[in-house]
Amino acid sequence: MIDFAKPSKDINIERQKLIDASQLHGIHWLVLALSAVLTLGAWYLANEQHNKNIAERFQRESLQVIELVKERMLVYENALWGAVAHIDANGNAPNNRQWQRYSNSLQLEKKYPSINGIGIIFNIQREQQDSFIRAQQVDRPNFTIHPQHNEAELWPITYIEPVLSNQQAVGLDVAFENNRYSAIKQARDTGLAQLTGPITLVQDAKKTPGFLFYAPFYNNLLIEDTVAARRQAITGVSYAPFIMYKLISGTLAVDRRHVTIEITDNGQHLYHDKDNQDADMIDPKPLFKDKFKVNLYGRVWEFNISSNLEFRADSASNKPYFILIAGVIINLLLFALFSFLSKANQQALAYADRVTRELKINSQRLKKSNQDLEQFAYVASHDLKSPLNAIRKLVGWLNEDCEDILPDSSKEHLALLNNRSERMNNLLDDLLDYSRIGRKDHQANEFDLAEIAQAIFNLLDHPANFTLSVEKQTICLPQIPFEIILRNVLSNAIKHHDKASGHIKIRYQMDPGMHHISIEDDGPGIPSELFDKALEMFQTLQPRDKVEGSGMGLALSKKTVEHYGGSLTINSDGINGTTIVILWPIANNAKQNA
Amino acid sequence: MTVEKKEVSLFLIEDDDVDAMSITRSFEKMKLSNPIIRAHDGVEGLQMLRSGAVPSPFIILLDLQMPRMNGLEFLEQVRADENLAQSTIFILTTSKSDEDIAASYQKNIAGYFIKDQVGEEFLDIVKMLKGYWKIALLPEQ
Repeated sequence: MIDFAKPSKDINIERQKLIDASQLHGIHWLVLALSAVLTLGAWYLANEQHNKNIAERFQRESLQVIELVKERMLVYENALWGAVAHIDANGNAPNNRQWQRYSNSLQLEKKYPSINGIGIIFNIQREQQDSFIRAQQVDRPNFTIHPQHNEAELWPITYIEPVLSNQQAVGLDVAFENNRYSAIKQARDTGLAQLTGPITLVQDAKKTPGFLFYAPFYNNLLIEDTVAARRQAITGVSYAPFIMYKLISGTLAVDRRHVTIEITDNGQHLYHDKDNQDADMIDPKPLFKDKFKVNLYGRVWEFNISSNLEFRADSASNKPYFILIAGVIINLLLFALFSFLSKANQQALAYADRVTRELKINSQRLKKSNQDLEQFAYVASHDLKSPLNAIRKLVGWLNEDCEDILPDSSKEHLALLNNRSERMNNLLDDLLDYSRIGRKDHQANEFDLAEIAQAIFNLLDHPANFTLSVEKQTICLPQIPFEIILRNVLSNAIKHHDKASGHIKIRYQMDPGMHHISIEDDGPGIPSELFDKALEMFQTLQPRDKVEGSGMGLALSKKTVEHYGGSLTINSDGINGTTIVILWPIANNAKQNA
Repeated sequence: MTVEKKEVSLFLIEDDDVDAMSITRSFEKMKLSNPIIRAHDGVEGLQMLRSGAVPSPFIILLDLQMPRMNGLEFLEQVRADENLAQSTIFILTTSKSDEDIAASYQKNIAGYFIKDQVGEEFLDIVKMLKGYWKIALLPEQ
């Protein structure tokens, strides 16, 4: 009997799997941790990449600013050299009118924005001062040289265009002040365009920092490329004054850049955005800052460049945060999924356990009721036998003792009484056998089918012209229960045969995992609709008075085969014989099912 | 063979009247004159043995399933009683159980018979007893 109450090893393993699956394990946490690490990593990398990008951008913008300033200065330098070329081409210094024409043709406003003007400064010696002034006063009666100073030479600004906005500069002797003077000397000595240090232009009412840009020109006596020769041949410089903030505004409009600029020259303040009207773009805590030293025409300008608010706004990127948030969401979803799965498994486990418990209770109940039934059948049949035996004996005694005085009819009645008692005895025997199936498990052993079948057949009370054919075949089965079955089936075949002679054929074949034994007779057969009935307990297909039988044979056989995990079926067309097919699991299976 | 053997009594301990009757009838059939003394259960059996109601020599034919004291319990008592321990006892029962058979022989019974298998009216048993008495020597008590 299969013990339902005790779960098999496989089921325990399955259950353990379910328990395992219903808990969050190291692997789950590992996946979550990896996912978290990936998220943070991706976020970190994206952030790094972004920071690198904006750092590069800042670098680019800074360099661009410097390049623009340099480019612009080159343009102005070219204008100054243009003036020098003009003077050289004319062979002599231009007069005021000529300069006016020249500078007009330059279209300063249009071509050289942010330049405050373009002019000529002549180099004259103290002794030439008066004649120079007189010469200039021919055209401009108000022309004077100012202010006074103690240098041996003079460098008066002689022409400047447009004159209107540079009135104060006309006649200004740039040697009066060191920044202006030293740069002009430097230009003279090097023959290169030069800048002054930071100064305040006299024409700048706002008094903001500015500078002058000089390009020297010499007379045609300059043949040697030496400082001394240059000093000898110097005639003057073309020059341009600049107001720093105008220069920067024109060059680097704030809406075209994303950096704040501060420029100093040798520690002296030249330009700062905070002095400009664009101060609102300054970032009090800039993301990036850098310093660049730029050599410009004899000066070193130090650019302090820092990112401004616009840069900050432009460089703010949500991408790393999107990555972070997406990662966190994925992590949460993973966690939810794991939790859900484990919850589902827990529920499945709880359900399985509940069903198992119910099944266990049911199977215990079933087992108990089966046992009770078997016990009942056993006790009932056993205990019923004693009184039955007593009845049979008493009938016998009555027969013996009253043989002479009983009428024939009474004798016949007593014979019937005896016969029915006999029948009841057989019934009880079979019932007892039936209830005993499963009480004892017989081990399989090897035996010869033909030998066993022949022995059983010979023991059965059969008419002389009944034959049995069976092939020799060694099989391994629990022999005792098999014999009981064979006896029942063979006995049925003989008992129910409708002819005087008959033949029974036993065939064997091995199916996968099963012994296949068929017992075929040539009797009257069983109609298919009666198959089920034939297999039930206490069912006979013929009146018991005609064919003596308890009706237990097939039921007993079927129950026995099924106890060992096999099956018993009836095959018949209802006319020509019956075949009983027994399928019996091959040894291993038989043991497992026992 | 000059010594006349004392007639052996049969002490039948059997609760079923019909079974008891069967033995009696068989004795009559076999023309056996040995006295049959009957007890209905183990308790009564022991009592009769101890009170000397059963004349020696005797053999006991004992049923196993009986009310009050069953056959195995009776065997236990008899073998433990030094006056009765040597009694010759046959078992006549309906029980085919291996345990019963083993337990009975454990108590030194002389034979174990199953009621179903000893023929109509236990004739085989009675035949056996007849032969047994003829050749077996029994202890005097």
